[in-house]
Amino acid sequence: MSGLETYCAEITDKLNCGILLLDVDLKLVMWNQFLEVHANKKLAEIAGQSIFSIFPELPQRWFERKITSVVQLGTPSFCSWEQRHHLFELPHTRPITTGSEFMAQNCTFSPIKRNNKIEHICILIEDVTDVCYYQSMLKKTMNDLALSNRIDGLTQIFNRKHWEDCLAQEFAKARRHDHKISLIMFDLDHFKLLNDKYGHQGGDRVLIDIAENVTSMLRLGDIFGRYGGEEFAIILPETDIKGASELADRLQKSINQADIIFQKNCIKTSVSIGVAELDKAESHYESLISKADIALYKAKSSGRNQFCVYE
Amino acid sequence: MASSVLICDDSNMARKQVIRSLPEELSTDVTLATNGLEALEVLKNKHIDIMFLDLTMPELDGVGVLQNLKDNNLTNCAIFVISADVQPEMQSKVLDLGAKAFLRKPVQVDVLINHLQEHGFL
Amino acid sequence: MPFSLDEDQLDCLQELINVAMGQASDQLARYLDTFVFLKVPNIELVKAEEFSKSLTGDNQSTAVVSQGFFGYEGIRGEALLVYQHKDSDHIADLLGYDPDELSDEEQLIDISSILTTTFLNVFARQIDNQLSYNAPKLLTSEQDSMSEYLDHLSFSWDIALKVNITYQVTDYSFNCDMILLIPESAIIDIKTVINRILEAL
Repeated sequence: MSGLETYCAEITDKLNCGILLLDVDLKLVMWNQFLEVHANKKLAEIAGQSIFSIFPELPQRWFERKITSVVQLGTPSFCSWEQRHHLFELPHTRPITTGSEFMAQNCTFSPIKRNNKIEHICILIEDVTDVCYYQSMLKKTMNDLALSNRIDGLTQIFNRKHWEDCLAQEFAKARRHDHKISLIMFDLDHFKLLNDKYGHQGGDRVLIDIAENVTSMLRLGDIFGRYGGEEFAIILPETDIKGASELADRLQKSINQADIIFQKNCIKTSVSIGVAELDKAESHYESLISKADIALYKAKSSGRNQFCVYE
Repeated sequence: MASSVLICDDSNMARKQVIRSLPEELSTDVTLATNGLEALEVLKNKHIDIMFLDLTMPELDGVGVLQNLKDNNLTNCAIFVISADVQPEMQSKVLDLGAKAFLRKPVQVDVLINHLQEHGFL
Repeated sequence: MPFSLDEDQLDCLQELINVAMGQASDQLARYLDTFVFLKVPNIELVKAEEFSKSLTGDNQSTAVVSQGFFGYEGIRGEALLVYQHKDSDHIADLLGYDPDELSDEEQLIDISSILTTTFLNVFARQIDNQLSYNAPKLLTSEQDSMSEYLDHLSFSWDIALKVNITYQVTDYSFNCDMILLIPESAIIDIKTVINRILEAL
């Protein structure tokens, strides 16, 4: 070996990633110290063996097809931890402070040419356990954050902002496919009196119970949100005014009949409901809200504990 | 008498590459066309012995030209297709449509000469 | 404009791309055992602020894979592979894998890498260059999220050379757009290479 080659060999062994050389029959030609240590096998003892007998966990058919693409097309191929956590079952350097059993890996398959012919495939194995660990933590936090951005903290149903975003989407969808869509808005009757009598915690209990009660009566596609203090709203996709009125009727009765238990008190309450259906001529979802609002106002001024339809 | 040559390709560079590769005795009477329609127009008005034809072109592509000539029984000019589309299906398609040979882009001088010799033009 | 290409330069680049596309398609067709339709690629300069629009346009792309490339003489850029939702079912078939051997995401990444590197390898060979590649990365895979993703980006370039190549495979009715983006500093380098080729003509 020349001086430079000795250097290269030494550097290869110092690298903190695995280098593995296969011939086109998928037999091991060489690997560096990183792999010798992590796989805990001596190169001299296993050189010439099939990669599948050294690493029986490899998905054989997949692996062979991958190598075929490298040899036939003469191009590199990649395998990332994001799609396949690891290819080789190797231990890693953070067994204590991360949850994963095997080293997360980024693998690169490269064709190696001799005399213009591809005779070997080099596989580079990078330990990305750290990246993988922090990325999954980040992802979880992002998900939690996104969820808490959409949810009303008290009632655990959608908050107003997210509910309105949904309405805008459902409105556009209904327009695109020429589908019906209806809206229900309801308001607790005499909520202020209730708060005065039982305190704010009592009022909160009522809001939570009603949100739960209504949720249990909705279909999967219906979108329920807290619109304001004691005002709620439901988007009913692919529903006409008849269907919406039937639901409003059931909601009104069910809430009126329910007993809400708070500190050994049995609280009775009722709601006033406004119902509206999307008109073909409307071009803004906001007008659907105002129509349901007008109907709600009518229900209130006609004596509460009832529903009214916008006409 | 020197043969008359038509080079049909939408790319200026590709046309130049063909011109550059032509032996001297074929470079005295060269007409250029930039798409299939232009090529058909030239063939209508002028006697052409050899046409070098690209395939992927705007207006009318090379396959369209071959089809047109075949349909109208205009087979007195030798057509050499020079294309980047080297898939076997395409090669056999143009040969079926009457092309004398298929040459890969970018055209190589020795390959071009070989084909011309093979068909008696040199 | 230092970045714009004149007629001859554009023609030369177009021809280099055509040849690369032809040979890449031939290799692909053999590897995938199918026929690949060739369409004339589209080359244009895009401004950063118009880029999102030029990419999303009216098609509802659902998945985008990015792969960076770099070579000698300052040649570098990024390839974006843009897929439509309906195509993703066919990819495992096309690649010759069992669908349960790999996830949809991995299939997309695999085919993307194959399309990009096969094409660019031939392209590089024509300009006497050699390219290296980054591992491909899935940028987005949910409906309509491409424009959302792009909206969050702030670009470090003002202008890029954009080459749009459409791959269409007959038997599996699969198609995808490969968009090569060369940032402005590398446009100058690619123009140097093109001029050298033109001078040799």
